[in-house]
Amino acid sequence: MAVSVADLDLRGVSEALARRELSSVEATVAYLDRIAAHDPVLRAYITVTGDMALAQAKEADAEIGRGARRGPLHGVPIALKDLIAVAGVKMTGGSRVLADHVPTRDAFVTRRLKGAGAVLLGKLAMHEFAFGRPVTEGAFPTGRNPWDVQRSPAGSSSGSAVAAAAGLCAGALGSDTGGSIRGPASMTGLVGHKPTYGLVSRSGVLALSWSLDHVGPMTRGVWDSAVLLQAIAGADPEDTSTRGAATQDYVSDLERGARGLRLGVLKRYYVEFPGLHDDVRAAALTAFDVLRKEGATLEEVDAPSLDQALAVWAPLMSEAYEYHAETLRRSPEQFGEGLRTRVYFSALFTAQDVQRAQRLRARIGREVDALLSRVDALIFPGQAMPALRFEDFPSTGFAPASIRYTAPWNLLGLPAAVVPSGFSGDGLPVSIQLVGRRFDDATVLRLARAYERVTEWHQRRPDPARWRL
Amino acid sequence: MKTTDDRRAQFDAECRVAGLSLAARDAELLYAMWLEWLPERDRLRAAVPAAEDEPWR
Repeated sequence: MAVSVADLDLRGVSEALARRELSSVEATVAYLDRIAAHDPVLRAYITVTGDMALAQAKEADAEIGRGARRGPLHGVPIALKDLIAVAGVKMTGGSRVLADHVPTRDAFVTRRLKGAGAVLLGKLAMHEFAFGRPVTEGAFPTGRNPWDVQRSPAGSSSGSAVAAAAGLCAGALGSDTGGSIRGPASMTGLVGHKPTYGLVSRSGVLALSWSLDHVGPMTRGVWDSAVLLQAIAGADPEDTSTRGAATQDYVSDLERGARGLRLGVLKRYYVEFPGLHDDVRAAALTAFDVLRKEGATLEEVDAPSLDQALAVWAPLMSEAYEYHAETLRRSPEQFGEGLRTRVYFSALFTAQDVQRAQRLRARIGREVDALLSRVDALIFPGQAMPALRFEDFPSTGFAPASIRYTAPWNLLGLPAAVVPSGFSGDGLPVSIQLVGRRFDDATVLRLARAYERVTEWHQRRPDPARWRL
Repeated sequence: MKTTDDRRAQFDAECRVAGLSLAARDAELLYAMWLEWLPERDRLRAAVPAAEDEPWR
């Protein structure tokens, strides 16, 4: 094996497999060795499915050897957030509540990935039930940021971000209810794509808030995310939200560039937000110029109702209370303090609060739809700030202020992707975010790739020599 | 202007209405969270939806 798997993105692994420079078993063993070496510090994995992965890899090698390569994911080792069911493999949701839970059926997305020939390395750490806080101790630590192990990768798809960024898998799936794909991807220098609501089935995925939950890819490159999205997108009779799923070809237009596309910069709400870190703002402004040079047209736009987005998002999280209420009543001690408090909090909204939120949600949607009738996508910084030290996470708080960068797009169900746009003065990754029209995930990914291909941020790798405590 | 005691009484009443029975530490953490979020909740309650703002479907 002449290839250093850990340095590759998913595309690199896929192409090495296609060229027979690398076997799936070799790739799988390389990742398993790396997990064994580094995960005791990074804590990306809750469960490593080594035997299953090697069996899948052997099967993939045999099929590829017979000339029956199924596609770009065939033989590629990936991993899943531990709220996505894999039959016969423990699924904990990062919680003691489900510590011994073993699903008997695959989630829809798992079936799709298996069908595409992907190899499943294991289940990834996460904030408890996708709503808890980052923790470094206990039964379910949430993972350490490979760019600085004293910092959190954010959450809730923390393990997905750590594993993909650290080269402990070729790509991962996460879930996003208020920013749980895009936040961790931003903090670890990854591409993270929250698909259009209803494009990717949630059946077999633990819920946090049914009307806000999305499942999507977290990878080192845009092509990688496009290929994973292609595999998991589409209607599923077991998730009625996907009835109208309109899939596209997410890969073939990736290299068409930005020329001729119109971008709306949400300057007032995002670029001028006082809480935006200077380094993130500077990197975003430079990124806007890059896309302008690549032929995109940028104009300043605004949706005044975005000011109400967080006030609207929070009452809708009462869906989380409905989901957990019975277990909370029966055995509250089973939940971590952070998750328990947030779920209790979501019970304090009234019925009128929830309906008011639904009405304002519609208003925000109308304003943003009007913007997206004039421009092809919206653009702004991906997050308010780079990764925080664990001790700097507030011990209270329903949601961080930076959730304004992500949660509005869960409310509206629009496709949203973050792509690395540089590094802070402390050497921490920062990102820009692109939001597109409903079911036009392809344009979002095309724009992300147009930026990525003329920059080098996505090619930087964290240094394993620094993965020590 | 509401006093701290008023706020605490309001919080305790809301917990009772929601049927929450909390351990002492949970109650303190939840109270801090509730206080911090009050401006957003006030913003929601102060908003005046238009006739065409029908609930999101």
